[in-house]
Amino acid sequence: MSDSINYEDLGINEAFDLIRKWRENNERKFSEWVLVWEKIYKNLDSRPNEKYIVAEQLLVAMLDQHSYNLALMWLELLLEQFPGSLRVMRYKALCLEAQGQYDAAQYVLDEIIKVDETNAPARKRRVASLKAQGLLSDAIKELVDYLKRFTADMEAWQQLGELYLEAADYSRALFCTEELLLHQPHNHLLHQRLADIRYTMGGVENMELAKAHYCRTLKLNPNNLRALLGLNLVTNNLLGHYKSSGGAKRKEVWKLSRWVHSELGRRQADAHSLTDLMLAISIAD
Amino acid sequence: MVELLLDPKIRLWVFLPIVVITFLVGIVRHYVSIILSSQKKIELIQVQDSQVMIRARLLRENGKYLPRQSFAMRRHWFNNEETGYFKVQKRPSNAQNPMTDPGMMTDMLKGNVTNVLPMIVIGGWINWMFSGFLTTKVPFPLTLRFKPMLQRGVELAYLDASWVSSASWYFLNVFGLRTIYALVLGENNAADQSKVMQEQMSGAAMAMPPDPKAAFKAEWEALEITEHRWALVTAEADLLLQNNVS
Repeated sequence: MSDSINYEDLGINEAFDLIRKWRENNERKFSEWVLVWEKIYKNLDSRPNEKYIVAEQLLVAMLDQHSYNLALMWLELLLEQFPGSLRVMRYKALCLEAQGQYDAAQYVLDEIIKVDETNAPARKRRVASLKAQGLLSDAIKELVDYLKRFTADMEAWQQLGELYLEAADYSRALFCTEELLLHQPHNHLLHQRLADIRYTMGGVENMELAKAHYCRTLKLNPNNLRALLGLNLVTNNLLGHYKSSGGAKRKEVWKLSRWVHSELGRRQADAHSLTDLMLAISIAD
Repeated sequence: MVELLLDPKIRLWVFLPIVVITFLVGIVRHYVSIILSSQKKIELIQVQDSQVMIRARLLRENGKYLPRQSFAMRRHWFNNEETGYFKVQKRPSNAQNPMTDPGMMTDMLKGNVTNVLPMIVIGGWINWMFSGFLTTKVPFPLTLRFKPMLQRGVELAYLDASWVSSASWYFLNVFGLRTIYALVLGENNAADQSKVMQEQMSGAAMAMPPDPKAAFKAEWEALEITEHRWALVTAEADLLLQNNVS
């Protein structure tokens, strides 16, 4: 575990191994960086192979800690080594953005896109910068424009879905999340989100679909408590709808509802015994 | 049969030089191809097309997890007669002659300069310079069928098949040094000859950029005949079955 690492006694090689691990796993450990970064930058010159890729990492870490001057120092280093590199330009935009100079950052990003039309990260960065400024509708517009070109970018679909949810545009958010589901049909969290959105939208048809998605979520991951609670809400709602029409449908929902209730009861009992156990431990302490 | 003895000078002046020469040529090739390589410019429209193709394929494969309406909506977007993406987007057919495209010509020339030319020149030189030597012996018996492979340039009918001639030793080196290059130059280096051979084997059709028009047509057809069977119809029953509720 990362918590158990003693940062004080870390050797130089170990420190570099650690940040390589962060780099490869795309981890953003801003509080841990403070503890290792001194060791890293003092020994940077002894590792010519990794020097610049670590410099990039240091730059982002410094921005995370709002140490803009240090970040600019690393940017200088990168600019000196790779003048005209689009990748370094992107870091420049990142630095400007972190300092709140959004217009200047936009300008830099536009320049990148002018040179290389297919530079997807720069285009996404523009959306992120708009989102950071709280310009929700502009960010959505920009992202939709991006997705017209890069239709298979799942990260972007996810972001767009979240933005639409924020804007309470549920049917569009649903579309984006469905797009994600096409990519990963066995991700229980996606099924759960779809069901959440359908439930929020309301209506018998949506309720039925939400029920199916919740059921699939619980099949894929029986421990998804949110889905269980959601299923409870959905079945209650459906029972209300079918009250008058009745028939086979109501019976099925009733069966499901019974099961959900018993399951919830069991979970609650477990939770109670767990709290009891924890209480007992704390008393013993 | 009397065991053959090789002159130790063969080791010094034939066996080792061939190894060193092939290795160094590989290194030089790597750096020359780095100098000559040109960044391939990708057109935005190409990216868009390939991404749309990915999306259409995903819809075909995993569309069954979406409700019928969502599936139909997406298929409509791709396939509708008047407004569908595959119908509306008109791409110029890419079946043009590569000779007319100067960028492609230089690419082909560079490929030949770095790949084929050294192979012919160095191979021919080695064949001429070190011809007729037996260089080494593989430490296991081999059948006669290996003779043309291992004893190129030494046509002796009664020689044991496990002897390796100098020309064959060169070819063994060309193909066998791959892991050494990976160690010295890192992965994905350009020194590796066997990759070039593979590309040549797979034919010229691969090198041509795929024609988006034909690809769109194929995808349109595939999507058109896709039948939507909702996979979540049984979700409720599955769940109850899984938990033994009857």
